[in-house]
Amino acid sequence: VSYRETVAEALEAGHRLAGLHAVGETVRAVLVASDGSAVVASVEAEDGRVPSIVDLAPSANWDEREAADLYGLRFDGHEPLRPLVDHDLELARWTVPVYGADAYQVAVGPIHAGVIESGHFRFHVVGDRILHLDARLFYKHRGLERAAEGRTLEDGFAYAQRACAACAVSNTLAYAHACEDALGLRPSSELARVRTILLELERVWSHLNDIAAVCAGVGLAAGNARFAALTERARELNRALTGHRFLFGSIGVGGSAVELDVEAVAAARAELDALLAESRGAWRELLFNASFQDRLPDVGVVTAVDARALGAVGPAARASGIAEDARTLGERLAYDGFEPVAPRRVAGDVQARLEQRAVELLQSFDVLSSLLGGPVEPAEALPRAAAKPLGLAFVESPRGATLCVVEHDSGRLRRLRLRTGSYANWPVVAHAAAGNLLPDFPLINKSFELCYACADR
Amino acid sequence: MLTLLKDLRRLRRRIDLPAPARGRSLAVRHVDAGSCNGCEHELTLATAPQYDLQRYGFGVVASPRHADVLLVTGTVTTRMRAPLLAAYEAMPEPRLVVALGDCALGCGVLGCASELAGPVEDVLPVDLRIPGCPPAPAAIAAGLVELVDARQ
Repeated sequence: VSYRETVAEALEAGHRLAGLHAVGETVRAVLVASDGSAVVASVEAEDGRVPSIVDLAPSANWDEREAADLYGLRFDGHEPLRPLVDHDLELARWTVPVYGADAYQVAVGPIHAGVIESGHFRFHVVGDRILHLDARLFYKHRGLERAAEGRTLEDGFAYAQRACAACAVSNTLAYAHACEDALGLRPSSELARVRTILLELERVWSHLNDIAAVCAGVGLAAGNARFAALTERARELNRALTGHRFLFGSIGVGGSAVELDVEAVAAARAELDALLAESRGAWRELLFNASFQDRLPDVGVVTAVDARALGAVGPAARASGIAEDARTLGERLAYDGFEPVAPRRVAGDVQARLEQRAVELLQSFDVLSSLLGGPVEPAEALPRAAAKPLGLAFVESPRGATLCVVEHDSGRLRRLRLRTGSYANWPVVAHAAAGNLLPDFPLINKSFELCYACADR
Repeated sequence: MLTLLKDLRRLRRRIDLPAPARGRSLAVRHVDAGSCNGCEHELTLATAPQYDLQRYGFGVVASPRHADVLLVTGTVTTRMRAPLLAAYEAMPEPRLVVALGDCALGCGVLGCASELAGPVEDVLPVDLRIPGCPPAPAAIAAGLVELVDARQ
């Protein structure tokens, strides 16, 4: 069976493309089923060329362009194969041509007007109406994956953590799970519990931050300040529990050193209860703020069909009606009985994406409250299966399913690939912007609140 | 809206902030030269009600044309070197450069040498270094206050 046939069959059977990467002259596509089982389809390049699958799975678009730029491969059938990571090229090579009366371009970035990461947006507009958006990211490309090659699995951890502070737990947990998958290790139930706690602590501060960001996006200073104050408290709670406000170093390959006694756990529960009560109050105020709410509906709409085709993940996908959440997959974490939630109005617009954060926040407080019932002890992963050269894992980050693939030769990394929720969703942001007004773009962008660092690596 | 403002006033009363600034005011332009997004998140919270950077006389401005201070985060990537220099060139003099966070200071940087132009001081003259991975909002506020007080 050929590479394309394997991919087509898996898609036919209901798998979704989770990522594609090059390792040397080989290209691998990872497809995941709704039960979390994965199919890895591989193909060897001939004269540096491999068949494209972008016609079968449009969400392979960025992955193939990245493999072309960084690994020098060509993808037959992917036309035009625009550069993604490569810069310093003439405009016509990386933008989609837009013609017509009064059509012109607005270039924004890489340096933005606020405290924002660096990236370039090229809007094709008529008046204030956006016809098309070409996003050029990778200004922050540090070559982390390439630099990790040849390191031990233990040393590779730092590279996964450095990709992004905002998703540090998600990314390092995906890395730890992928390494443990390769090494044949399974987490003990205590290890699953502490990792789930850490992942949800990250989601709490991140979702609070994202709600504040939408308030900032429409200029509602009071709402922004209120949720920023809650974000600060959530990050201080992280510091009290693990010694780091972004929970750096709290995840490890093969085990966890996090130790919380009865008092620490009780204090965390009390602070989480207070944060829950205050977030509810602050959210209610937003709901009844008419001038704020008026900005949100029918802006930046992503339909379920488009979200599926573009490979949207996370809160953005769920707000469009795709009830998928990597927290329901697998047994490596402690999400017993977890079901994805949805907003009241599954419209795929800014309002739905904002409300999705609010309902997920309540869910995270619930999960934390049930898992913080007693002290947390150091824990280990246990040998359960034979080691293998390729390990992979999916973790639901605050921005969506993150795939980590680890390929190794006797414990040294041959390839580390981190395909984050932000990476998956950036093309969706560009799609959501089309047809909207240019002044609404900050709001649309904030309703996704993606990381640039996570995508650029 | 009124309730939100009332909540904020209540929050203000609970937080023990130092007295507002007297006679100091600096406009700050932030440039992310290749960070992991940690310094950005902490810098954002330096303007949250608990710290309220504006109280010390610091405002984050939208253009380097309006700025006294260029606050640079991250190790400088090859792709951000030119935009960083362009932002610096656009600033009126006198101007100051702050390197924020360990990466900007060249500590513990990870990545491929071919993608990195070096720490901020290899690209621009640095007037103040604020270490940390990432520096907490209080450390950012304290560093900026020190920068002004040292020059008065």
